[in-house]
Amino acid sequence: MGGERLKIILSLTPPLLIIFTLFFGGIFYGFLQSLGYQPAIGKYEINFSAYYNVMFSERYAKLFWTGLGLNLWVSFASTFLAAVFALFGALAIRKTFFAKTICNFIYSLNLPMPHLVVAVGIIFVFSQSGLLARLASQIGLIGSPGDFPVLVKDKYGLGIILAYIWKEAAFFFIILMSVLQSLGENFEELAQSLGANRWQRFRYVILPLVMPNLFSASIIVFAFSFGAYEVPALLGVIYPQMLPVMAFEFFLNPDLNARSEGMALSIIIAIIVMILVVFYFWLTQAKIRKD
Amino acid sequence: MSKLNIKNLIKSFPSMDRPAVNNVNLDIESGELVAFLGPSGCGKTTILKMITGLFQPDSGDIILDEQSLLKIPTEKRGVVMVFQNYLLFPYMNVNENVGFALKMKGVDKNIIDQKVKEMLELVKLPDIGLRKPKQLSGGQQQRVALARALISNPRILLLDEPLSNLDAHLRDEMRDLIVTIQQKLKVTTIFVTHDQEEAVLLADKIALIFDGELQNFTSPKNYYEKPKNIKAAKFFGGVNFINAKKHNDNLSTNIGTVHYKGENYTDLNEDNIITIRPENIKLSKNNDFNDNSFKGLIKSVIFSGTHTRYKIIVNDLELECSLQSVGLQDIKTDDTIYVHLPSDKIWAMNE
Amino acid sequence: MNNNLKKINIYAIYLGAIILILPLIAFFINAFSFRWFYPQVIPKELSLQAWVRLKLIPKPGQRTFEGFIELWASNPAVIKALLNSLSIGFLVTIVSIIIALPAARVLGLLNFRFKKLIIFIMVSPTILPPIAFVLGLNINFISWGFSGNYFGVCLVHLVPIMPYVVLTMTGIFANYNPDFEHQARTLGANKTRTFLLITLPAIAPGIVVAALFAFLVSWSQYLLTFLIGAGKVMTLPLLVFSTASSGNPALTAAISIIFIFPAILILFFTSKFVSGESGATSGFGKI
Repeated sequence: MGGERLKIILSLTPPLLIIFTLFFGGIFYGFLQSLGYQPAIGKYEINFSAYYNVMFSERYAKLFWTGLGLNLWVSFASTFLAAVFALFGALAIRKTFFAKTICNFIYSLNLPMPHLVVAVGIIFVFSQSGLLARLASQIGLIGSPGDFPVLVKDKYGLGIILAYIWKEAAFFFIILMSVLQSLGENFEELAQSLGANRWQRFRYVILPLVMPNLFSASIIVFAFSFGAYEVPALLGVIYPQMLPVMAFEFFLNPDLNARSEGMALSIIIAIIVMILVVFYFWLTQAKIRKD
Repeated sequence: MSKLNIKNLIKSFPSMDRPAVNNVNLDIESGELVAFLGPSGCGKTTILKMITGLFQPDSGDIILDEQSLLKIPTEKRGVVMVFQNYLLFPYMNVNENVGFALKMKGVDKNIIDQKVKEMLELVKLPDIGLRKPKQLSGGQQQRVALARALISNPRILLLDEPLSNLDAHLRDEMRDLIVTIQQKLKVTTIFVTHDQEEAVLLADKIALIFDGELQNFTSPKNYYEKPKNIKAAKFFGGVNFINAKKHNDNLSTNIGTVHYKGENYTDLNEDNIITIRPENIKLSKNNDFNDNSFKGLIKSVIFSGTHTRYKIIVNDLELECSLQSVGLQDIKTDDTIYVHLPSDKIWAMNE
Repeated sequence: MNNNLKKINIYAIYLGAIILILPLIAFFINAFSFRWFYPQVIPKELSLQAWVRLKLIPKPGQRTFEGFIELWASNPAVIKALLNSLSIGFLVTIVSIIIALPAARVLGLLNFRFKKLIIFIMVSPTILPPIAFVLGLNINFISWGFSGNYFGVCLVHLVPIMPYVVLTMTGIFANYNPDFEHQARTLGANKTRTFLLITLPAIAPGIVVAALFAFLVSWSQYLLTFLIGAGKVMTLPLLVFSTASSGNPALTAAISIIFIFPAILILFFTSKFVSGESGATSGFGKI
């Protein structure tokens, strides 16, 4: 009995140690720094001025709130569109047809692709001299590159959204395919025999069945796109700027005082993501209790 | 040929509020075939795993041929267990599975091959040595598992629910095979089961275990005729129980005085319980019996093939009686009837 | 189903597939063309220029076996980054699996108090963005002397990797029957042989999947390597990022092709393992 407890503790300690010292330690130290505690430059007092500066000071307020708005817009739009794209792809592909295996493979292709590469690919395809612009010019739709709409490094984060759709649609796709496969077609055939048409079968049978998985995958994608750095760093503009990029630039600022602001921003990002996850758990738990 | 003594064995798990095995004492003679019988979760498999050394007891001792096993690692005990779901190693073929124990001992390969062949013949499965476990039926897997366990001449053979995963028709076959092999090899064998019928058919002796406690350890016959307590009697299909009090060398109950001849009269408490098996009760429309005869009313009659079961109300007490269907008197529901409890067939026990 | 509808459906799938594969096509055109000017769709001439400039392929005339060896032995930046990425990936993968194995076994097979809490703590790095911990950690690493250090980079890679490896392997052990080990023990196998002959073959497929994920997560890591490596530990993603920022499409495309090669290889490898149910799949979303 005692031996078993010892075994549990010994087995769990190494990974927990890594997570506690590096991950939680990093967050804790970042939090301390965001409160202005910076022994390296002789600052020991603790206050919330970095948070105030970032959110409300004349210098940064506008940057922060537009950045937050951009963050929310990009995360919502890319999560939603990637999910919709993947849902229709999965629904269409699960039925047998010629080249099903190849299409399956292509739809999952972006899954193991690093985000960085996807961002570069988006530049190659959607920039004003990219593949699409060239195709458009070949069929006479546009003349010079300037005629092609700005889709990469644009104010509205369209390029960032495109990159996330490319990448995360594959993630949604894999999850949906496995759910649909495990469900089989019995429910739909049953619904059809009860007189449900195509739309009704989608709306009242398939959608409720895949929703729990779709929703939890959406939370993962949203949380990720909200805090990731690489894609907005490559595909974003200086203003408005997504929060992770802003935090990183504060941090790399030669003025060490700006570090506190960078840390404060990263803590704000973490808090928003945490609130979202807690809300999600609360929702699912409430649903379980109701059922 | 090994004898096994279990002394004051206790084992608790953190997840359970009572000990899984509570102070169990057992002496198993060499060459005996013993059943551990009890409902699932009663601790019988836990005892097996302590004999193998996969669990360490909290206290108590397990002694094999006058030597304590507790300090000996599992692989050196010579105690082999056959698990309920056979657990044939999936990526080894039948020959490799059966030969596993000898390979672990570093036995020469030619000798292993020879022994494997012998064992497969013993379990009546020659010629399947190259198949993978997946390609075998449940019954075949069970036999291979048995062959694998027996190849190293274990001192004790442990079988965990050996028949529970088999179809009814395979069970009889497997049961015969186990008895034949056990008698041929004379290996001391313990098997675990929750099925009292299986225990009765196979075992020389049955250890009945409830909630981690040993209730009784005796021959199958005694469980039917002389159960130790009401729980044991019920587990073996006992249905008739009559509260009784000692009275002048006899027992008095609320259906009247019952004459009792059991040898345990002096051991009985003032308050005790009488039991009788349904097939030992006799019925008569006219009061043909002069002893232990009580008047009652037939409540129901259920024909079940060779036997017919009657429920009789005697003075608010319900008794169940089972008679051979052949040559029955014509007894119907609501008939008045005399119930005879033969004094040599009734058994009283303390509660 | 209506036949026309079926056709539209399938054309839509093909269109989707083409859209998805467009970036990949663009990579290859960029990497193997020379002066691919707007508005050409098909480049006028194919060329290995970009690969020569990256010092991955020798100049024309020197493309012999010795020529390749000599060029690579001169240790160009790409080769250096490639070797760093590979060695960090392998090291971190092996370490994470050794660390996760006992923990996953305990989490998968046993029930105990606080188990849910411990799993929650283990997976928390997958929920919160890396920027939340790496900025603070960076300062700590500077004071511990891990900053700008190869092993510091390995250590920080363990943070995003650990949750997936533990989760994937916990899933394996949850479906694993430890009685197989008990069976081997009662048949006379000692602990070492039981592990080698029974446990390892049973969990090997799961370990392979966990290892592939771990490697891929490390391989794709940009932010953590950049901050902890402090510019002194150059890996492929860092090279891709800086080349892409400097804006030479041919070079960027060529490095990117090297960079995505293992990803595609792994997708081929795992397609039969990958299912939405496994914790591992969610790992892909984060690369």
